[in-house]
Amino acid sequence: MSTQIWRGADLMMRSACCRTIRSPSSEQPGAERTSPSSALTHRNLSAVAVQGQSRPLCRYDSLDLGEVEENVRRALACKKIRHFIVNPDLAELVTQHLRPENGRSVIFECNPGPGVLTRTLLNAGAQRVVALEGDKLFLRDLQELEGRLDGQLEVVHCDYFKLDPIGVGNLRPPVMYTDKLFTDLGISEASWTDDIPVKVVGILPLRNERGTLLKMVYALFERQSVYRYGRVELNLFISEKEYLKLVSRPGEMMQYRAFSVLWQMACDIELLHKEPWESFVKSSKQRMPSSKNQLPNEHLCLVRLRPRADLFSGGLTPTNASTLLMMVKQCLAKRKVKLIDRLNLWSPDSGSKLLSEMGMLEDILTGHVYPEEYLRLFQLIDKSQEFTQSWLYEEILENPQREGWG
Amino acid sequence: MSLLRVCAFAKCVSRRTLFDKCAVRVSPADRCPLCVSTRDGGVRRISETPLRLQRRKVSFMIPKRDDAKKRVVEQSQLLDVLKARIQQLQPDVVLDVHHANVQFVKAPSSGRGVSSGKGPKVAPKEKTDIPKSGKTLKAASKSKTSRWMEKLTREKKNKLTKEERLPQKIQKNVKEKPSGKSKGSKSGSALPGTSHKVISSAAPLVKGRARTKLSDEIRAAVSSTEVGTTAAAATVHKGPKGKQKASKKQGPVKEGKRQTEAKEPAEEMEKSLDQQGSRWTLSSNPQRPEEEEEDVEVAAAACGDVQLSIRSYLEACVFAGDVERAHSFLLSQHRVRSRRKLLNTDFYNIMMRVWAKKGTLNQIGRIFILLEEAGLKPNLGSYCTALECMGRNPGCQPKLITRCLRQMEEDGLSADDLFSQCVFRQDERDMVLKAVHLVQPDYKPRLHARAAQCPSLVQEFYTQRADHQYPKLDFTQEELQERFRQQLRLEEDCTVTIDSVEAAKPVTDHMAKMRKLLADHRAQWQKILLQALRESKMILANTNTKDYRLNLYPYLCVLEDREYVDIMIQSVASLPPSGESLKILGRDLGHRVYTKYCVQQKQQNQVVEKLRNIYNAYTDLLAKDTKECIVLPSEYWGRLEREQSSGPSLQGGETHWPYIVSVELGIYMVDMMVKNLKMNSDVLNPAFERKLIPILYHMYTFRNTRQVGFIKPHPILIQMQQDAMESKLTFDSYVMPMLCPPVPWTSVKFGAYLLTPSKLMRTVEGATQHEVLLEKCQNLLPVLDSLNQLGNCAWSINKPLLDIIISIFNDRGSDKLDIPPPLSEAPKIPHFNAQDPAYTSAEKAHMKRDVINAKKKCSEMHSLRMDALYKLSIANHMRDEIFWFPHNMDFRGRTYPCPPYFNHLGSDVTRALLLFAEGKPLGPKGLDWLKIHLVNLTGLKKRSSLEGRLEYANSIMEDVLDSADNPLNGNKWWMNADEPWQALGCCMEIANAVRSPDPTNFISNFPVHQDGSCNGLQHYAALGRDVIGATSVNLMPCEMPQDVYSGVAQQVEEFRVRDAQSGMKIAQVLEGFISRKVVKQTVMTVVYGVTRYGGRLQIEKRLKEIEDFPKEHVWDASHYLVRMVFSGLKEMFTGTREIQAEGRLAANRNTTHGWCVSSGECVGMAQSESIIPFPIIPWCQRVCVCVCVCVCVCVCVCVCVCVCVCVYVCVCVCVCVRTCCFLNGSHPPVFPSGELEGGREKKMEEKMGMVEV
Repeated sequence: MSTQIWRGADLMMRSACCRTIRSPSSEQPGAERTSPSSALTHRNLSAVAVQGQSRPLCRYDSLDLGEVEENVRRALACKKIRHFIVNPDLAELVTQHLRPENGRSVIFECNPGPGVLTRTLLNAGAQRVVALEGDKLFLRDLQELEGRLDGQLEVVHCDYFKLDPIGVGNLRPPVMYTDKLFTDLGISEASWTDDIPVKVVGILPLRNERGTLLKMVYALFERQSVYRYGRVELNLFISEKEYLKLVSRPGEMMQYRAFSVLWQMACDIELLHKEPWESFVKSSKQRMPSSKNQLPNEHLCLVRLRPRADLFSGGLTPTNASTLLMMVKQCLAKRKVKLIDRLNLWSPDSGSKLLSEMGMLEDILTGHVYPEEYLRLFQLIDKSQEFTQSWLYEEILENPQREGWG
Repeated sequence: MSLLRVCAFAKCVSRRTLFDKCAVRVSPADRCPLCVSTRDGGVRRISETPLRLQRRKVSFMIPKRDDAKKRVVEQSQLLDVLKARIQQLQPDVVLDVHHANVQFVKAPSSGRGVSSGKGPKVAPKEKTDIPKSGKTLKAASKSKTSRWMEKLTREKKNKLTKEERLPQKIQKNVKEKPSGKSKGSKSGSALPGTSHKVISSAAPLVKGRARTKLSDEIRAAVSSTEVGTTAAAATVHKGPKGKQKASKKQGPVKEGKRQTEAKEPAEEMEKSLDQQGSRWTLSSNPQRPEEEEEDVEVAAAACGDVQLSIRSYLEACVFAGDVERAHSFLLSQHRVRSRRKLLNTDFYNIMMRVWAKKGTLNQIGRIFILLEEAGLKPNLGSYCTALECMGRNPGCQPKLITRCLRQMEEDGLSADDLFSQCVFRQDERDMVLKAVHLVQPDYKPRLHARAAQCPSLVQEFYTQRADHQYPKLDFTQEELQERFRQQLRLEEDCTVTIDSVEAAKPVTDHMAKMRKLLADHRAQWQKILLQALRESKMILANTNTKDYRLNLYPYLCVLEDREYVDIMIQSVASLPPSGESLKILGRDLGHRVYTKYCVQQKQQNQVVEKLRNIYNAYTDLLAKDTKECIVLPSEYWGRLEREQSSGPSLQGGETHWPYIVSVELGIYMVDMMVKNLKMNSDVLNPAFERKLIPILYHMYTFRNTRQVGFIKPHPILIQMQQDAMESKLTFDSYVMPMLCPPVPWTSVKFGAYLLTPSKLMRTVEGATQHEVLLEKCQNLLPVLDSLNQLGNCAWSINKPLLDIIISIFNDRGSDKLDIPPPLSEAPKIPHFNAQDPAYTSAEKAHMKRDVINAKKKCSEMHSLRMDALYKLSIANHMRDEIFWFPHNMDFRGRTYPCPPYFNHLGSDVTRALLLFAEGKPLGPKGLDWLKIHLVNLTGLKKRSSLEGRLEYANSIMEDVLDSADNPLNGNKWWMNADEPWQALGCCMEIANAVRSPDPTNFISNFPVHQDGSCNGLQHYAALGRDVIGATSVNLMPCEMPQDVYSGVAQQVEEFRVRDAQSGMKIAQVLEGFISRKVVKQTVMTVVYGVTRYGGRLQIEKRLKEIEDFPKEHVWDASHYLVRMVFSGLKEMFTGTREIQAEGRLAANRNTTHGWCVSSGECVGMAQSESIIPFPIIPWCQRVCVCVCVCVCVCVCVCVCVCVCVCVYVCVCVCVCVRTCCFLNGSHPPVFPSGELEGGREKKMEEKMGMVEV
């Protein structure tokens, strides 16, 4: 009993020390909001300031978003199961969160569909929007729009979530490699600590949400794929269920999984907005996946995943990151085992030493360790001689590779 | 002691006052004479518990000394007297209690109804106590019967008679008021273990009563006769089984306690349950008996696994001798209503059987009551145990037996049923017979063979056998019997250790050192595991908190501790270096325990001796020195079993462990290994710091979002094992081929190995519905006979070839000849320092990939090497033996040999190693056939006629002879054949034949293959009466053997050329790559319903095998090709358009397209619209064995060598269809023209191919 109390107290203490995830209540998203009209002028002004020379004067007025009914009809024509942002207010809201008017980041819009958000972004003063559309159906209209503008919008037939496939074979769009995409767009590799080069906005495909998220976080840690080009910020609509898992905290034994630990370790996670499913246009008649477990799944959550600049400063490198991935996954395969047992498995007898260095209790469970603590633990392990001898290191090479980035 | 008694008495009294209070609230009841006995029953129940509790304690605590015994006797006398007094004092009170209960529930039931309802229920209850008092009575009468006791017995006798008359009187009342009855009965009985909510079977009143009377009778007999059970019980008590005695006595004591504790909650529960309960008992109970059979089925489907778990748990307990655990487990299941629903009569029978062995008749009677409580009917097995028990009691009254037999008749069962349907163990049958003989001295069980029905299609095989006789094997009876003894010894051991073929290698110092090291470690691990096992068993045994929960404890008791440890150590030795998934490892371990348990169970049941007798007689059929028989093995065996019916039954009896149980058991053992097996980290390299490290690790691998538990051995252990190169291999006994002809399959559950359990049908682990269906299946006889036929073929080893193969294997292996090289030949895993800044990230990624590929290659090579090692070692072990492969089949009816590694369905290497044990002279044309076979094996001359092939063979005789003489140093012509090893064997055979003085008299054992050509398409063409199609698959007599695959390939090539000219890129890429091999599998499987998706995968596989085909085009090319193959087939089988249209139409209409086969059964067709232009032949994947079983025994006398009996078991209807088409249709019956085909891809066979022998 007393150990329980102890553990609870310990958990609370440590949580106070650790960085907490900013919840929506802690920040008012509308605080710095500028009014649409001012944003519009702002856009036009900045457009003039930056590339005013090439810009025809007739383009100063805002782009027409099109009739809502018409957009809905076009979205419904899509054969795949997808969600679309058609509602202008929703598009406006997303745009405000992205703050396209300031900052020099390129905005990647994944699967824009009828292009409501695209236009809203441009209207709000975005200087460079890249529309990555995977479906040929919408491509023509987007390209037509691209032709009418000069340079603010680029349209590529590409599915962001299918970048860098693992298999070999000849690729056909929308599947492509990152380096081709980035070279074509003229974006060069950047240092990790630089400013955010690209902001990605879109809706995470519902099929295999977790798999996609895992794949992306592997890429992040190994600095592969898009993360070779710097700290790419994701602004994704994720189903509420997955979001809750993503931000689950130690002690929530059901939800606290390896992938939440990894994301929390790598990124500042911020919930920008919650929007009920009904606000989106769904292209297929299929029913929404209902939440079978206790987690609610009423909304799509707009989540900002901004990689931490200091991630690679404390001894973690893209090369040994795979060991970290492996370690976290092995630890959290079961959340109710003692951490010390896991550690001793990899290097006998050194578990208690490590735990005392970390200032943790001997009987701490793997599901009670904070992401930041895992990172520190890994840094300690990586320095210790005993562990590098361990055969755990050999294991690492094959496993994450199997489903991770090629 | 007296203090205790006082306490107990005080308790009674306090209870009494409680009742008094209750009574105050209740209106006074009418005192009809019927009620009296009821009250008595109630009182007795109340007073009994504490009293009996005490008595048990007394007798338990004061053992055997004479004066002590006397004291006990006196005390118990006193107790009985007291009990009687209480009885006399209390009746009114209890009656009132009943009223209280009833009123609580429902208003209208009058007291009269209630009490009358209680009648039949209470009667057994009443007598439960009698044996007890009877016992004491007897003891007392030995010394001095007191006056009180006399009076008591008198009273009791009176009551007995009164009560026996009672039910008849009551019956009428009950019928009028069933509701009252059920309610009343609920509060009525409180047997040990059934303290609350009794569900009486309301409807079949007569039966219920009669049954009750049987148990009464048993009890009555016990109590009234001085010699009956009492004597038996007494002997049990006095006997040497002190332990048992203790346990027996403890049991009831506990029960007693529990009962008193359970009392109050029980009453409350009664109240709450009464509303729904009364409805429940009324509505569902009356139907129960009729429903029973259905129930079994439904239960089998719904909760079959739970039932199986309970059953195997009980049996494991009983087997391990833990009767107390089994008994209390059954009772606990019985008590919980939700669990009780799962029980059926057989579960109770298990316990009855135990008590029957001990001869305790009253225990059996008690279980009869439990049965009735549960609303179940006793079945044959229950009566069987009752009779057995009576048979075991020497002084059992014939009256009792007569009563029992009459009871059976009333239930519609006869004594003959008993002997023909029950499963007997040990001497059970004799005991039952003895009991029956007591009343019917000249009774002889009449056993009749089950009338076997066979499908009309094969009827004539069974009916017209006037001038047939079963072929003899080339062995004398004595030889066969000796072989049986060897095989029996092998299977009794369960495992067999043989020399590996690597034993021939010289032992280096290092190897010797490593072997020593390993042996030391093993000895140490053995000790550690033994201790760990004992400890954990101890913990498990004591922490069984809720006894209705199943736990693993009994499964850990069925074998000796040492045997579990041996199994665990053995599994460490055979763990692959890359690890094994936890589930598979667990399953294997569990299965091994189960097999061993089964074998030991058979030994315990004394089956072995009987098996020997029957097998010895069975050899009459097979041995060459006995007279000819016209019966089939299964028929003969069945007849023998009927003739030698005494002793235990051979068939049935054992319960499969549910899949989940064996996996759980296995995982438990794995867990023990992971926790306990350790070694020092410096064993190999003293430079390391010495630490005790585990040798096995539980890790996880991740497949997408799933995680898979994995057990990995430590690299040091792997290193040690590889360096030691141990030369002994340990296998389970069923891995080896049999040394004697297998036991013929006579039923779904019996056949193949002697003791090792074997399945007739291979199923996915845990898929019980298959087994249920199979057991229901009636027409299996032809299938069983076909399997027996396959199994009776004797084999031997081609020794010269084996030596050559082993020499290559022990040298460096050869990829080209399909001999896997040793790991020393494996590519080195490149090492690189990931931190080295000299590499760019692309280079690092590349190197990483290299490492992964090298690792993958290594583990692949290891598994291939081990597989070959196993096969060759088994072959080497059997080199001078003659052996048999028992067969079973899969769900489609495809037949397989049971031994997994080494069999005739294996690769080229294993096939080449096998010869028929029985040789035949070649005869005039035999040599020619051998030559043709050789050409077929090379894969050349696919399109030549048989004459052409023979001619070709003659032209290369020089190469052939050279290959035979100098296989490794000559021209090596044979190495370029499709199937090099079989070709080499054939070369040697030809050389021997040619060089013999007279080739026609040369005795050859060499197998020559014959095969159909694309059997699926043959059926299809026949169905459609498509002449062109039929010609292309050799259904029409033809000069040249036709090859449909080449035809399709040619057609596809034509399409390709056309597309290439029109500028299609992929068509251009494919130039020169379209071959017969690429399209073959797809063509073959199209008729079995392969989709474009599956077809593409097949072609993709083939294209990947072609080395110089550009890998990046594989996807597109396979897509393109599968389309072309389908349209090519469409083009070629033009005559079948009608069927296509019809098939499509049917599919579009979404109706079942069917036709009737000659056996009269209608055949449905798959309904799904498919992209294939062919109707899908109703392949029996779903319909399974039930549809129609057709056996086409085509005895192909392979001209040259041997009588190769190809039994083509085809569960599928299509064969029947073909036959009928030909019989009614315009075509003359044409059978496959015997196109000889040598080349058969192993992989293809695994996937889809036809398996023929």
